[in-house]
Amino acid sequence: MKTILVIAEHRRNELRPVTLELISAAQELRQADDKVVVAVIGSKAEAYTSALSVTGVDEIVTVKTASEEFDPDLFEAAVSALVENRKPSVVLMAHSVDTLGYAATLAKKGNFGFATDVFKVEYDGAELVATRAGYNQKVNVEIDFPGRECVLLAIRGSVYKQAEGATSPTVSALDLGSATSRGKNLQFVEAGGADDVDITGVDFIVSIGRGIAEENNVETFRELADTVGATLCCSRPIADAGWLPKSRQVGQSGKVVGACKLYVAMGISGSIQHMAGMKHVPTIVAVNTDPNASIFTIAKYGIVADIFEIEEEMRAQLG
Amino acid sequence: MKSGKKLSLSLNPSLKRLPHDMTAQALVSVALRSGDLYHATAVYEVADSVARVALDTILFEGRRDALTLARWEHTPAVVLQALVRLSDASVRQRVQRNLRTSGQTLAELYRTENSDALMTLIAQHRNTPAIVLESMAHESDSDEVLKAVAGNPSASATVLRILRARFPERFDAAIATHAAASPDLLEAVYETGNDYVRAAVVAHPACRRHLLTQAALSGNPLVLRQLAGNPRITAKLLARLARSRTLAVRRAVAGNAVLTPELVIALAGDESVGVRREIALRGDLPLSVLEKFARDDDHWVRQRAARNPATPVALLRELAGEENAEVRRAVARNPACPAELLEQLAHDDNGWVRAAVAYQPKAGAKLMKILATDHAVDVLSGVAANPRAPQALLRQLAQSGEADVRRGVILNPRASDTVLKSLLKDPYYLHRVLLVGNRTLKDEDKWPLLNDPDASVRFTAMRWFAGKVKAG
Repeated sequence: MKTILVIAEHRRNELRPVTLELISAAQELRQADDKVVVAVIGSKAEAYTSALSVTGVDEIVTVKTASEEFDPDLFEAAVSALVENRKPSVVLMAHSVDTLGYAATLAKKGNFGFATDVFKVEYDGAELVATRAGYNQKVNVEIDFPGRECVLLAIRGSVYKQAEGATSPTVSALDLGSATSRGKNLQFVEAGGADDVDITGVDFIVSIGRGIAEENNVETFRELADTVGATLCCSRPIADAGWLPKSRQVGQSGKVVGACKLYVAMGISGSIQHMAGMKHVPTIVAVNTDPNASIFTIAKYGIVADIFEIEEEMRAQLG
Repeated sequence: MKSGKKLSLSLNPSLKRLPHDMTAQALVSVALRSGDLYHATAVYEVADSVARVALDTILFEGRRDALTLARWEHTPAVVLQALVRLSDASVRQRVQRNLRTSGQTLAELYRTENSDALMTLIAQHRNTPAIVLESMAHESDSDEVLKAVAGNPSASATVLRILRARFPERFDAAIATHAAASPDLLEAVYETGNDYVRAAVVAHPACRRHLLTQAALSGNPLVLRQLAGNPRITAKLLARLARSRTLAVRRAVAGNAVLTPELVIALAGDESVGVRREIALRGDLPLSVLEKFARDDDHWVRQRAARNPATPVALLRELAGEENAEVRRAVARNPACPAELLEQLAHDDNGWVRAAVAYQPKAGAKLMKILATDHAVDVLSGVAANPRAPQALLRQLAQSGEADVRRGVILNPRASDTVLKSLLKDPYYLHRVLLVGNRTLKDEDKWPLLNDPDASVRFTAMRWFAGKVKAG
């Protein structure tokens, strides 16, 4: 019997949805009599037990710390203690800024196997194999971990479905002892965007670029995006001009739209920087008057046309 | 918050100082001494034939470098031309796809290529000369190649005429939307085309007037919609289409630039919000319509009225008190928004409304100071990019931990040399690229960027100096 340990992630008193995805990943990975243990770390750790009591969870372990906010030192100490105590063969954590703050150090110190941005994990016989992208998303790399008793895997968000269904796992607590942090939490500062849309979590995006020509036209596409149920995003020049909030900017200077399934690029030529944020999207529809625009090299469907004509046509079709 | 770890540059001794005599030879010797692929690429255009031979040893020594340059979006046309001389099919294919490949290079490639796949790449390249496209239109039998020729923006009226003569109707859809299509060709295409082709013809700026009249009799909504949007349509036809029962047609009429004042007023009262929204976008709205729109039930209509420079201040004041944040934002973005309203909106609860004030060129130094203490990135980026922001504020914002804010300072046309200099070691490479192109910064301050760890910065810097040499 092996143990799969899932590290819950929470922020500002809310469980992050990726935690339920990690439980789902653990469910897919578990074999016969394996046990799935979910650990939640924080000053109010026990407050999350009910949200974590979903199908497939055998046990919830709470680890109390002094602060409710994430602290890399305390998380490192807590996960290290959990590994020592529960001897898991796999630890699943979110591929997030929190994890990147402590997981690599922990893996080095504990001589654990380690892989980040993993989007598939399975057993090939007795060998654990994790898959992640390489060469700038051009190839899939399979990683195995020969000789490692424990493997830490940072799992990419929005790949697994969120676990559902209620269950009644056992709940226990683990004492962290006298773990201390080198840092001090002064204040939580929310990333300062002026609107509240998290484009990394949406699945349908209409995105505009320089092709829209002037600010007044932004409203036209915002209206279109609203009508078709998409989130309006943009390339860097649009956000730099103050025509859309920075939180809507896709690309190297902006965000990677990790959960997007359909991306309609309107008047975006496709700079390397922009494509870094969206080229992984399974269905990209590009509209551009220039047939040689780089965006067409990654688009599943390309339309060489004026974006305003396409916008008008879409509106006409929608009635 | 201070910006992240600054870039540390360890200068190549030969790049320490800007040369006194900035000549092509001086730049070429810098490139040869550094042996840097990107220096060599950037300086190639200004190098003479002897120097180019020397630079070739850097550029084409490794196949990997040649492949990289053949695909790189910034590789200059002269380097791409040199690359095709290498007998390497993969390199040539990448050159054919590269947007910077010149017409001359494409013409050379056309003479030597014979596969349909590669010919298609040449046929669709926007820099391919019309004469090459003409030859393809005459000689090729490949559907893919001919389709690419018909859709190429560089195709001339002659090319389109050849295609239609050789293959009647096969490429009509492409011809009907092609900017170079002549009136006679459009008429021929209209006569035989289906409704989609006819719709494209009546939207074409070169469509003959009598075809517009003929199209008005069509029962097809797409044809009528395209006709309604054509600015060459007569007022009489437009008035008739304004009464169409099809919403898309009335909306197209509403967006027509030559709409008469009477029709503007009539359509402003249209029952469809789609039509009213379209009318609300116009810059020629009379006061009565603006007053009506400022109180419309639809927030998009109110928003557009709020942004219209002709909307009276009293109405703007009313709209600035709106519950809908996008309407308040539109007031702040209105070029005619008075100072008192900007001040009011600078204290708005919604960050996106405050950001609109921060980007507003009319907002004065006092407002800039207030907004510079904001916590929202969009607001700070707006202040950073605003030409009215005092230099002291820009100095402060140049130290921000937010890359977006620092970029705002870099993009500010009034940022001083001192402020910009403080950003030369910005950790984000794109910012250093942008600084190379800044006209306020002195060349002596840009010169060390030739030694930047990022290839695109080194290339842009050398290209900047090569450009100056070229301009004399």
